[in-house]
Amino acid sequence: MSKYPEYSHEKGREYFERALKVIPAGIYGHLGPSEGLWIPINKWPYYSVKAQGSYFWDADGNKYIDYMCAYGPNVLGYNDPDVDAAAKAQLEKGNCTTAPSTVMVECAENLVDTVASADWAFFCKNGSDTTTLAVMSARAHTHKRKIIFLKGYYHGDFQWAQKIDYPGILPEDVCHNLVAPWFDIPALDRLYEENDGDIAGLIAQPYDHGNFKDNEVATKEYWTAVRKWCDEHGVVLIFDDVRTGFRLDLKGSDHYYGIKADLICFCKALANGYNMSALCGGEHMKSTVSGMTYTGSYWMSAVPFAACIACIDKMKKLDTPTLFRKMGTQLTDGLKAAAANNGFDLVVSGEPALFYLRIANDDSLMLHQEWIAECVSRGLFLASHHNHFINASLTQEDIKTSVDIAEDAFNVVRKRHS
Amino acid sequence: MTDAKTMAYINMFAVLGTLENLCELDGKAKEIISGLKKPVNLAFEVKDGPVATFKFSAQGCVLEEGLKNYDIKIPVSSCEKFNRIIDGTVTPVPTIGLSKINFLLKTFTALTDRLTELMRPTEEAMKDEEFFVLSTRLTFYTIAVALSQIANHDEIGRHSASYIVDGDISFGIKGCDTATISANNHHLRTVKKAPENPRAIMSFADYKLASDLFNGKVNALEELCKGTVEIHGMASMIDNMNRLLDRVALYLA
Repeated sequence: MSKYPEYSHEKGREYFERALKVIPAGIYGHLGPSEGLWIPINKWPYYSVKAQGSYFWDADGNKYIDYMCAYGPNVLGYNDPDVDAAAKAQLEKGNCTTAPSTVMVECAENLVDTVASADWAFFCKNGSDTTTLAVMSARAHTHKRKIIFLKGYYHGDFQWAQKIDYPGILPEDVCHNLVAPWFDIPALDRLYEENDGDIAGLIAQPYDHGNFKDNEVATKEYWTAVRKWCDEHGVVLIFDDVRTGFRLDLKGSDHYYGIKADLICFCKALANGYNMSALCGGEHMKSTVSGMTYTGSYWMSAVPFAACIACIDKMKKLDTPTLFRKMGTQLTDGLKAAAANNGFDLVVSGEPALFYLRIANDDSLMLHQEWIAECVSRGLFLASHHNHFINASLTQEDIKTSVDIAEDAFNVVRKRHS
Repeated sequence: MTDAKTMAYINMFAVLGTLENLCELDGKAKEIISGLKKPVNLAFEVKDGPVATFKFSAQGCVLEEGLKNYDIKIPVSSCEKFNRIIDGTVTPVPTIGLSKINFLLKTFTALTDRLTELMRPTEEAMKDEEFFVLSTRLTFYTIAVALSQIANHDEIGRHSASYIVDGDISFGIKGCDTATISANNHHLRTVKKAPENPRAIMSFADYKLASDLFNGKVNALEELCKGTVEIHGMASMIDNMNRLLDRVALYLA
């Protein structure tokens, strides 16, 4: 008998059936069944109806402790009172206006004061907006064409960031993309020579957190070498800190690794769920970015700026990177022990604030998928093949309950296979 | 965009290769080959392209890669010409085995005509349940083999294959036909039976769904969301195989 009974999702499924008629794929993208890898689909909650702190509730009233945090934006806890109060106060004053609000300036100043490599901030909405601007800016700055990516990359879903075999992508969309292995400086040399130096930029996440594989953290030595290589070859170094930003280091993940990127992209944790992103960079890039033709209808809306200021101030007050490291380590130590108690080898990789999980007992990952499904259907929301996220509202009691549900789920899987 | 060489490999191993399944599953095909008094080995040798030998006997058909003890050999000067032979716009001319020309004109032609009838069915014919199931099963094997050929020869297909890790993918229609897509160092090989230890599984709920997927009436990712396409295991293998399936539709349209 399972200690935590399985949830049922009748109402959620009803919504999903309705959605399938009016929304392509019902739920498209990373929050949906295909990219989110709901295996099997009936174990997942489909939709939420409310959220608070570290939890959300689905349409059937089931409660989940959420370690995906909307895939990152929930950094302080859903409905954080301080961030929401700032947003509401700004909403009463104005949001999407012809003349941008003065809060935009305050937000940019806050980012410049916070992020070590930032001398300016350019605001957009999504991570893809910033990575695209960064790549365009690198080309405009250097008058060169090629961009180096590191293997297993993900920099959003705009055409240039997809791969040649993806639906709707033309070879011409990605013909200037070059891919180098991680942690291999000579490979950068080879690409530079093979392309006659026609390299505008190198874009990378701070460490290798590709999916379907253990995450591999970087070192200060590696990034120092990359920084030196970019300087020597006139290549713009772009840090894609969309996923990791403010979870490793409030001064930026480039600062965490002891360097200054030329351009750094932020989004997810920037405003605790209010929709905004920012490209920041050094003074030497500001003139180039000033000349870009790049804007959007909602990019200067004031409410997210107010939320962002409140969010950054609170993250500083709480020292969230230290908190996340501690809680992530505590949680994953508990999960590993729960796995071992049931004869499973749970591998934890990546930074504790963005931990990645894999059951190593079989190389097909089917056991892992079974365990994740049993966790989710008992109220512990994890992802099959994506790094997870810690948020600041998580409590000791949440961690204890999470480990307990995980152990129950391990027990279910063990019995099924014994 | 498609290329002639990949198309030739698909035509040889996936399209003509389905003669193996036709002779096993179709009563009419069985009747055609039952008249063979002695086995006949028919080889196609395409310059700068695929080379294979089809071994026919009263018991069935087996395809082997390369020239293998052939009785009849049809050399083809280019992949483009071979593709035109399969399209029916060019007549194949054997250089060796003229004494067996009767097999080519009667048995082989009857088999390929029957294959065409099943693989390019009329809407009316598909209303017959038995015909529909047989047509879908044959199409399934054609597609299963075609995706490996695309992974190995098509430029974009090779890109997809470059992300497929070693191991066997179980690719099938639930409770019915299953093939193994075996990956080794990003080279794919299709075996027309289920794997013993799959590293990843992709299965379609039934023949109707498989048929609709093969005919482009529905999308695999959409069906995955509905739960009618199931996946398990190393999802990156399935993800990239799905990209190969997109290209199968392009080649076999």
